[in-house]
Amino acid sequence: MPANQPLWLRAVIRIERAIGEPIESAVRSDTYFDVISATTRVRRKVLGTAEGVSKRCLHLLNLPAGSDIRGMRQQLARMERRINQLSHDVAELDEDESGPGVR
Amino acid sequence: MNPRIPSTLNPADLLTRVNRDVERSILRARNGIRYARGTHRPTLGVTPKEVVWKRDKAELWRYQGGDRRYGPPVVIVHSLVSRSYILDLRPGNSTVEYLTRAGLDVYMLDWGVADELDADNDLERYVDWYMPRALDAARAASGHEEVTLAGYCLGGVMAALYAAGHDDANVRNLILMATPVDYSEMGAMVALLREGRLNPDELIDETGNVPADALYSGFYMLAPTVEVAQKATLLENLWNDEFVEGFQAMATWSRDHVPFPGAAFRQLVDLLVRQNILMTGSMPLGSRQVDLAAVQGNVLNAMAERDNVVPPPAVEPVMQLVGDPFRREELRLPGGHVTFGTGRSAFKHTMPKLTGWIIDHSDTPS
Repeated sequence: MPANQPLWLRAVIRIERAIGEPIESAVRSDTYFDVISATTRVRRKVLGTAEGVSKRCLHLLNLPAGSDIRGMRQQLARMERRINQLSHDVAELDEDESGPGVR
Repeated sequence: MNPRIPSTLNPADLLTRVNRDVERSILRARNGIRYARGTHRPTLGVTPKEVVWKRDKAELWRYQGGDRRYGPPVVIVHSLVSRSYILDLRPGNSTVEYLTRAGLDVYMLDWGVADELDADNDLERYVDWYMPRALDAARAASGHEEVTLAGYCLGGVMAALYAAGHDDANVRNLILMATPVDYSEMGAMVALLREGRLNPDELIDETGNVPADALYSGFYMLAPTVEVAQKATLLENLWNDEFVEGFQAMATWSRDHVPFPGAAFRQLVDLLVRQNILMTGSMPLGSRQVDLAAVQGNVLNAMAERDNVVPPPAVEPVMQLVGDPFRREELRLPGGHVTFGTGRSAFKHTMPKLTGWIIDHSDTPS
């Protein structure tokens, strides 16, 4: 700790460490990891259930749900990626034909 | 001065201190308002550069401003989880600027911000597709056959896999900065995934990537209360423009994570974290097995002694695994994970030592 720090700052840093160290060991404990993984799973489950209900309601009205849009975006992304790859391949073939040194 | 009067009570000194405190209070108020408003944020990553190669979101930047006296070119490969401007944070506090001013020809391979289009990017895509093309572009731009390849954090793993997995890699020097190889020593960062409490797919969102927020939470939870002390230190130094600017720059970077491509994340968890495969000295990549000892050239294993993201024990085995045993060197630096990019320790130790090592292993000016 630098000697020229004012007393109040030293006190804050000491208090922070006094509180922070037990918290840091708590967030590295098995209990914390168990809680986090359980929370993540529960959250995903709740979201999945809510999404399933809303999807059925929207489909009853012949409307697309968020998951439909998401699926479509993923398909579009795959297609765009494929097109990008093909255009890179074509560009590289063109470069090879143009001879070395051309980029 | 009367020796019986303590210096603190000397009227002249007292007046100077009062003046200084008043001045600082005014500056504190001004900077405090600026900070609260969010204005006057420093511009980051400003060393002049040109894009010499680009595929999808990956870009290779060549930095300008130096006289490029040494070769081969230095190509920095950044990690997939954070923004590359940590190595070019602010003018006068930038590793890239330091290297460039020393006469090195510096390039940065930046991966951009992953989205749905990058969800299928696996490690092979980075190591076997982007990197060979980017490094060819660096060789063509610099006119050198060889490169000095420097990887930071996960970028170091990719750099090592590239150097070991390509016969035509032509890597004269491989610099691994805070590069984890022993994932059993990575602590809290990977514990949730290593012990099977969470599966990678439970962290991947609808874009097919791990969201930046999840990565930020992971880093934040390493020291959740430290921000209090940092904010108190800021309050004390709020009068100091340079301190405030540096603080804002670091605060911006530490919150500015990028989504991690899903396919690469699944591989990272399965191979690197759960199987700790790098500790076997080799790793499957595509249809082949990449042997880390096959790295040609000099290897510098640089680590930060107070790194709580990639602790030294996770980095140390590089000295037993990567490259020729007679061409390995270790560099221990004071400071934390960001000492490779910013901070007083970076300027005092990291930048001069890294630059010195690279120059010692480069061609001297003709």
